[in-house]
Amino acid sequence: MSKSAEIHKRLSDALAPTTIDVRNDSSRHSGHSGDDGSGESHFHVMLRSPAFEGKTRIARHRMVHQAMGAELVTSIHALSLDLDV
Amino acid sequence: MTDAKTKIDETVKANDIVLYMKGTKEMPQCGFSSRVAGVMNYMGLDYTDVNVLADEEIRQGIKEYSDWPTIPQLYIKGEFVGGCDIITEMTLSGELDQLLDDNGLAYNKEAADKIREANA
Repeated sequence: MSKSAEIHKRLSDALAPTTIDVRNDSSRHSGHSGDDGSGESHFHVMLRSPAFEGKTRIARHRMVHQAMGAELVTSIHALSLDLDV
Repeated sequence: MTDAKTKIDETVKANDIVLYMKGTKEMPQCGFSSRVAGVMNYMGLDYTDVNVLADEEIRQGIKEYSDWPTIPQLYIKGEFVGGCDIITEMTLSGELDQLLDDNGLAYNKEAADKIREANA
């Protein structure tokens, strides 16, 4: 499974999003620091979920980190998150 | 606490505003660190920058200290505020201004407004 698909699955399972979009931005960072040549180094996630209701920005990010799991989070160089209810 | 975490704890408590980043505020070495330092420089903030690339123990320690997997990380008055996405959102929403006001920290309000105008 690609990392995009893995991220999509884990976040969908854990956070019951109403909208989710996982974008692999790695090609835009080709040759930059952090580009490990895998083509799976930079990701952007847009996610809307009622689970974020009443949560601070930090708490929302932590929920995503936790749902993805430490191994997946640390295996990618850059994870940009756009999170809201 | 490990030595690295003790050192981090002392640094964020001894300085009003601290940015843990890759590179320095004059010469950032990562796009995300560059974006946050750029905003803070433009807003005229007086802050301490810590280059995690210069110290592997700090680089790992800061992630454990805040239980946050990424860098940059901003601390104000010893409290973890967030990383690049959160700082960007807070700058555009005016929440960062409010946080600085609440803590009596000086910044250029006009510059902050200009950032918001440019991104409206």
